[in-house]
Amino acid sequence: MISRSALSRGSQLALRSRSAAKVAQRGFAAASEKASYNPTTVAGVKVASRDDHGPTTRLAVIAKAGTRYEPLPGLTVGLEEFAFKNTEKRSALRITRESELLGAQLSAYHTREALILQANFLREDLPYFAELLAEVISKTQYTTHEFLEEVEDVIHLKQSKVDNAAVALDAAHSVAFHKGLGAPLYPTPETPVSSYLNEGNVGAFAYAAYTKSNIAVVADGASEAGLSKWVESFFKAVPTESQESIFSNTSKYHGGETRISRNGSNAVVIGFNGASLGENKPEIAVLAGLLGGESGIKWSPGFSLLSKATSGVPGVHAHAANFAYSDAGLFTIQISGGSALGVRKVAEEAVKAIKSVADGSIPQEDVVKAVAKARFNLLALSETSGAGLVHAGANLISGGQPLVVSDRLKALESVNGDKLKAAAKTLLEGKASVASVGDLFVLPYAEDLGLKV
Amino acid sequence: MSAPSLIKFAAKRPWLIKLLTPVANWYANAAGYRQMGLLADDLISEENETVLKALSRLPPDVTYDRIYRIRRATQLSLQHKILPKSEWVKPEEDVPYLAPLIAQIEAEEAEKAALDTLAPIRKH
Repeated sequence: MISRSALSRGSQLALRSRSAAKVAQRGFAAASEKASYNPTTVAGVKVASRDDHGPTTRLAVIAKAGTRYEPLPGLTVGLEEFAFKNTEKRSALRITRESELLGAQLSAYHTREALILQANFLREDLPYFAELLAEVISKTQYTTHEFLEEVEDVIHLKQSKVDNAAVALDAAHSVAFHKGLGAPLYPTPETPVSSYLNEGNVGAFAYAAYTKSNIAVVADGASEAGLSKWVESFFKAVPTESQESIFSNTSKYHGGETRISRNGSNAVVIGFNGASLGENKPEIAVLAGLLGGESGIKWSPGFSLLSKATSGVPGVHAHAANFAYSDAGLFTIQISGGSALGVRKVAEEAVKAIKSVADGSIPQEDVVKAVAKARFNLLALSETSGAGLVHAGANLISGGQPLVVSDRLKALESVNGDKLKAAAKTLLEGKASVASVGDLFVLPYAEDLGLKV
Repeated sequence: MSAPSLIKFAAKRPWLIKLLTPVANWYANAAGYRQMGLLADDLISEENETVLKALSRLPPDVTYDRIYRIRRATQLSLQHKILPKSEWVKPEEDVPYLAPLIAQIEAEEAEKAALDTLAPIRKH
């Protein structure tokens, strides 16, 4: 028998939880408004900022100098390693020590489209780092001795760490997009770059890439007024345009297959024509959530199709992701692991999984979970300062607007089983880009997997 | 290390420069290295880290010329000869090619030492 008091307590709880849900919703809407970057133009430089009034700031110069824009192979990594080296005003050592004294972190990294020079620091040090980043992009000296003594060795070291999974992803991009986006993200030790990669070429590329129209300054945690003031005064020295030009072409999806024999682990990447940055294709994001790969919860493979496929094969990882670029996208399933047989098995399962989505044999419950996962991924991306920063900058330099999270969220919620089915069907009907790296005796051909190439 | 020099002291005193320039020119010619086809910077002792580092920063063609001059001078020294007068190094060709690099490396070292012994002053 249920006592009266227990009943009323339960209803109280239910009431409370509903009101709690409302509060949570309100907080959530506010968070998504805050999460978007505010784009402006200051003295010819594209600037985007958002301010959560926290004690730290992340300031980044995002240049249109990723691997797709390099005129000669390897120049992007050269430019990346030359970041924060000797400038006309101060030495690399001084830059390092001064930022250490201010408790800051400096980093330089690149994606296929953008080269990012980033500084994370305490809020009050904004002027110092605005000046530093402007100096790095306009006054670095690109000296021969630094290239030979420091830059080259680091590049060789990083090259030796490129693993087979990365090689497979690069190869899939290369068959999918040929030139431009098909350029490898990091050249392997076998890639002949030494004849192109020298300080002269890197300096010329810097001169072409670091112009006002080619860069965006993105700040997370800086006030808009302060940022525009310092950008205006320090980024004056950045040239408006230059005679040198970066490589640019319009990406076209080709598709195909490539197989590379390499020692070490095994990797297969299955790619399809995906969604680009500007394109609003929520079903691709949901499909990535549905195929998933990484379990979100402990001690369970989770609901995602790829993690179910890998659960029986220890040591093999698979995950699905859409690589979005300014004018093209590659939807990939990346499978890697030590055992070639295991990788082969998971690759077969993965194709079966995507075919089952196209058949419409996915339970409605899983679709709901996938939409929730996609929503989480989107919000997490826009909140995490690193990923959100790069995303905002990449949008700005390609001429787009930073992503408005609330619009994308609404689109995601509209995805249902039928839309997902149609999206998977379109992917399978188009040409796939398949790359296999490792033990080619075992790794399957695209045709064996049942894909069109 | 670069060769010992009073140039910084003299540079501040134009009259001293004016006075010493003819003497310096006479000394450089009388020292005899130009007659052996060497430049003043070829005479800097190689046996220390700074100069070795500076030598490694020379462009390949400059290094080649330097080795050639030193080998030729060694040969001349063995033979107790000097070059024919037409091949002597002219004063305007005797330019420092290594000293600027040494100065640069010394400045780097000095900056490193200064930064390594920094004492931050707290604002609060």
